[in-house]
Amino acid sequence: MPKLVVTGLGIITAMGAGKEATVRQLLSGKSAIGSMRILQTKHRELPAGEVNYTDEELKRLIGMPQEQLCNRTTLLARVALKEALTEARLTENFPDKVAFISGNTVGGMEKSERYYHDFKENNSRNEYIGMHDCGACTEMIAEEYRGKFQLMSTISTACSSAENAIILGANLIKDGRTEIAVVGGTECLSKFHLNGFNTLMILDQNVCRPFDAQRNGLNLGEGAAYLVIETEESAIRRNVPILCELSGYGNSCDAFHQTATSPQGDGPFLAMQKALKDSHLEAFDIDYINAHGTGTPNNDECEGIAMMRIFGDKMPPISSTKAYTGHTTSAAGSVESVISILSILHHFIPANLNYQQAIEGHNFKPVAEVLTNVTIHHVLTNSFGFGGNDSSCIFSAYQNTGHRNQGSVVSEQISENKIQNSEFKIQEAEGTNASSRLNVSTSQRPIYILAASQISNQAPLCEQWFEQPELPTVANSDSQEADYSKYISPMVARRMGKLFKRAIATAVDVMDKGKMKQVDAIITGTGLGCIEHTEKFLNAMLDNDEECLPPTHFMQSTHNTIGSQIALHLKCHGYNCTYSHRGTSFDSSLLDALSQMHLGEIHSAMVCGHEEMTPDYFKMLGKIGYWKDGQFDEKTLHRHDSVGSFSGSCSVNLLLSDTANDETMCAIRSMDLLYKPSQQQLQETLRQNLAQLNISIEDISAVVMGLNGDKENDEVYLDFARQHCPHTPIVWYKHIFGESYCASAFGVYAAAVMLQRHCIPAHLIYSSAKTDISPKYILVYNHFQNKDHSLILLSSCSC
Amino acid sequence: MEELIYKLKEEIIDVLNLEGMKPEDIDENAPLFGEGLGLDSIDALELIVLMEKNYGIKLKNANEGKEIFKSVRVMAEYINEHKTK
Repeated sequence: MPKLVVTGLGIITAMGAGKEATVRQLLSGKSAIGSMRILQTKHRELPAGEVNYTDEELKRLIGMPQEQLCNRTTLLARVALKEALTEARLTENFPDKVAFISGNTVGGMEKSERYYHDFKENNSRNEYIGMHDCGACTEMIAEEYRGKFQLMSTISTACSSAENAIILGANLIKDGRTEIAVVGGTECLSKFHLNGFNTLMILDQNVCRPFDAQRNGLNLGEGAAYLVIETEESAIRRNVPILCELSGYGNSCDAFHQTATSPQGDGPFLAMQKALKDSHLEAFDIDYINAHGTGTPNNDECEGIAMMRIFGDKMPPISSTKAYTGHTTSAAGSVESVISILSILHHFIPANLNYQQAIEGHNFKPVAEVLTNVTIHHVLTNSFGFGGNDSSCIFSAYQNTGHRNQGSVVSEQISENKIQNSEFKIQEAEGTNASSRLNVSTSQRPIYILAASQISNQAPLCEQWFEQPELPTVANSDSQEADYSKYISPMVARRMGKLFKRAIATAVDVMDKGKMKQVDAIITGTGLGCIEHTEKFLNAMLDNDEECLPPTHFMQSTHNTIGSQIALHLKCHGYNCTYSHRGTSFDSSLLDALSQMHLGEIHSAMVCGHEEMTPDYFKMLGKIGYWKDGQFDEKTLHRHDSVGSFSGSCSVNLLLSDTANDETMCAIRSMDLLYKPSQQQLQETLRQNLAQLNISIEDISAVVMGLNGDKENDEVYLDFARQHCPHTPIVWYKHIFGESYCASAFGVYAAAVMLQRHCIPAHLIYSSAKTDISPKYILVYNHFQNKDHSLILLSSCSC
Repeated sequence: MEELIYKLKEEIIDVLNLEGMKPEDIDENAPLFGEGLGLDSIDALELIVLMEKNYGIKLKNANEGKEIFKSVRVMAEYINEHKTK
């Protein structure tokens, strides 16, 4: 495996904008938590780590015109991203293969909660509707570097989002899909999650006291941080200073409770254990732990126990830096990774502020005062999220030819790099044409789809749609529900929105069909998460003036609730992650699963896409052109001579394995996710994938495309067909299932059933002279607004 | 008190979505959590909101609920003593 290094860091928190301000504040030992002045909330009594810049000031910092509409989540991210890219010398010279992976959960909520009544009742703030979701924020963050990132995605695992972005970025590099990954997360304060945490009664009325016996909750913060990671080889080739190494990471699911950590800290323990194993380090190698340490009674007690299980009585220095910054939620993973790296580079350990007395049962005391002149070789940083999405990363001082380099810019290192540069050029020339490839995976062994399950507007948990589809006649078709009492006990089901019930029913169904008892990973795509409960909480908050709000609805509003509920149900402690990147949310999940399988990190995975639509959200998206107007019948709804599509909810669960069994439906032979590719890049990606299988485009039995009746959307598909596979039969599926952010999951599902049954029913054929097709290879092509594109090549098991 | 107990049972069934349950099914002397009704910490938070919304009682700490939610009867007694609306 290549050595991964960090070459750029950017950060903004309540401590200030930039690394310098951050180090200064950390060394001062003073908290940056105080009264809120920007967030317009009734709960001003609650202290928070608010970034001390207004939106106008942030725009000035990044040179954005004041009149440009933007949300605060994006503005904070832009500040940090700019700093990280500048340090890594990526602002001018963008290599071909740079991925951008960003985590966030609140998205544009801080604007949506302000203009929600406008969204519903008039047309005065419609421009903010399209900025609401997490994926929209990622796109806006990267807008300045338009077309320069070649792969993009959004992770939403609540408070571990940014940590998981680092992990995905690293895996994509290791799998050869990108050379550089810009990774991190962002989150601004919103009334929505401030009130949400408040209903959970985990906010301290005073400044938080992580790991203190008298701790009484957390303080929220806001901020953003990004890291540039790449292979050592790439950094040397680009001649950029190496800041440190990313030596290991681990992701695990606690699978215990929606908001609480298990008493023994099982999820945190497994995450730290995996990170140590991944880095080939022993517990005693760790010189500093930057703990999650939120200050809630539950987290700190259980995280402490988990650390004791790992480190025994040889506990390294520990501090939580959340008493400086507040809990920056989705950004916390990268904020604290940057702080951890700064501690390596500047030889200090930040204090665990406000600590007085150890928690009963803990055998350690955190670092109460700032320690300076400390040599740190390896630092472990923890980030845990709701639903038990627990992750840990280990950063190490850069070791070059046996010498530890602990400075940020070392002149000898650069000259040494220059010498090595020539060697790498030789290696490159000898290797396969790696640098000319786009992001095609280095390893192309087949991954099998063992089973699939769906709940949608079609008959649930079966494949009746394949023979007898029910064509929608309205622009917002309802889901047909299954009998959930077979899958979920009444005590558990009573709190669940329909989306979660569908997720669990399809998960159980797919495990049964695939004859699997457990999986190594649960990877979920959802562009919007449970909007039913998000809307309920938002409405209650606005109607009741931020008082007496329902905690259950808040807990279920986070996108990762779906994946964590499945994990909870299956008691799956394996890898767990959630992608919320608009129309390629499912595709991102699939990419993650395939990369990890190619790397041998996991051998099986549940990959799913779950989306619902509510009447209000449907109406709002209708205002920005998502849906067709007027009345339709089944023949006219999907004609693509007008703007807009028709909506359908989506619950699709696929079971993947690197080993085929008797139930196997088909094999996935390659997958690529590309951001704003040119036709030439699409062509080249396709060509390379076909070449690896020794087949040509004529061998592709059908191309499955997300034609949805929207003129602009469909034109992109038809253009692709004209340019790259003019004679290949076109298959469609959204005319049955409708459009949603995860609808592409139906495309892969439909292809799998066609390959399994060796036939393509006439109703799925969009255009072909042939009707009697026995498919061997099927290409699934999906795009979202002509920005994110995915190409997935499947084959029957006999190929 | 008996009237308040009955009303409280109705409110609990409603706020916790205890579908198919009637006030008569809940034993006012049985524990609400663990054994008995089998509620959990999330339900406790919902009950805290119920007390604030319907009776104007505001708890500062979720731990206070432990004593108050021992049974419907104990909860009703607490409400009777502390209600502000």
